[in-house]
Amino acid sequence: MSERIELCKTSDVDEGTAIKVETGDLALAVFNLNGAFYVIDDLCTHGPGSLSEGPICGDVVECDFHNGSFNIKTGEVVDPPCMIPVKTYVTKVENDSVFIEV
Amino acid sequence: MKQITLTGGNTSFTCEDDDTILRAALRAGLAFPYECNVGSCGNCRFELVEGEVEHERKDSPAYTERDKQRKRWLGCQANPHSDCTIKVTLRDHYKPLILPKKTQGKLTEILDHTHDIREFRFTLSEPVKFIPGQYALLSVPGVEGARAYSMGNITTDGKEWHFQIKKVPNGAATGALFDRIKVGETIGLDGPYGMAYLREDAPRDILCLAGGSGLSPMVSISRGWAASKKLKGRHLHFIYGGRAARDICGEPMLRELRGFGTELHYHPAISMPDPDAPDAWPGLTGFVHDIAGNMFGDKLRDMEIYFAGPPAMAEAVMRLVVEKKIPPSQVHYDQFY
Repeated sequence: MSERIELCKTSDVDEGTAIKVETGDLALAVFNLNGAFYVIDDLCTHGPGSLSEGPICGDVVECDFHNGSFNIKTGEVVDPPCMIPVKTYVTKVENDSVFIEV
Repeated sequence: MKQITLTGGNTSFTCEDDDTILRAALRAGLAFPYECNVGSCGNCRFELVEGEVEHERKDSPAYTERDKQRKRWLGCQANPHSDCTIKVTLRDHYKPLILPKKTQGKLTEILDHTHDIREFRFTLSEPVKFIPGQYALLSVPGVEGARAYSMGNITTDGKEWHFQIKKVPNGAATGALFDRIKVGETIGLDGPYGMAYLREDAPRDILCLAGGSGLSPMVSISRGWAASKKLKGRHLHFIYGGRAARDICGEPMLRELRGFGTELHYHPAISMPDPDAPDAWPGLTGFVHDIAGNMFGDKLRDMEIYFAGPPAMAEAVMRLVVEKKIPPSQVHYDQFY
């Protein structure tokens, strides 16, 4: 059984930006890309960088600690020094709220 | 003495004038992110909101133009010149289990392990404990800036810190240690630091991968394993890599530990066998990450992995971690680069 967790309202995240949401043990980065929402772990897999604070270019977020980058939709590494993909979450929008299923 | 305050909370700590913001935060028990402690890795970046700081190491490799624009500094190098307010995200992973301290070490003994790896044993003026696998900063007289080296011994009272150090060609610090510093002399020590320490609670067999100067922390981890009641029954595999037979070492130290050959398995390997004398080295050949991959395959996912060595080796091991889908939480190393 998966559990649904409400993270924020869609209006909390401007288009082309991200916010950090902490819930339970999770620290997440919630992205709004052209009105579609994506959620990944906020912590970079390489160091202590916060991905919600990184610059976004298309589908890619750059960690502003070491300039490594990830595909926001798939979690795959785009640029080193990151090597380990970042975790992505199944994300749903209902009644103007962003949810993940874990 | 300066007061350092974190934004968005009530956290503050004091920093001595000759100390750095990162190290002072750790001495106060705060979980300030870092890895290398010598300005190379950039993990200790913070934003200076108010106050004045200066870097000890002016040519810190991790410090960039972008940092300058964003008023970011390296915690490990930043001396405060006034009280400061800084922005940094504390993360539990970095919380020091033993608070690092500055102390002095008197050199009591020097041992040779290979043609270029030597062990330097220090007795501390003020005992400080450490966990197997941790490192310290050494301030060698006549050498500018501190250097990070991992301890190779284990300790219950914190009186002795031993370092197995590989000589760097033309290196200022190892040059001074190998050629100038004599038994009886004293150097500055500061530690312990680092998160690549032995996890006694991890319910898995252990794999230690070491190359060159990575010997010291992996020997410490192995000694810690042997001394640990909690890890009784767990096997430990130690793969040590060198270029040639003359680089191989470690066996005499491991042989003294419990279960050598039955629970503790030592696998030395060389990467450049002599083409003129292929039979001169009867053991394994290849790089440590390839040997680990071939030896354990998917079983690597069920092991607690510790590694230390040159940057190319660290990168190759991280590729193996990704390729074999080893949970990153089971992999421990110091990000020195």
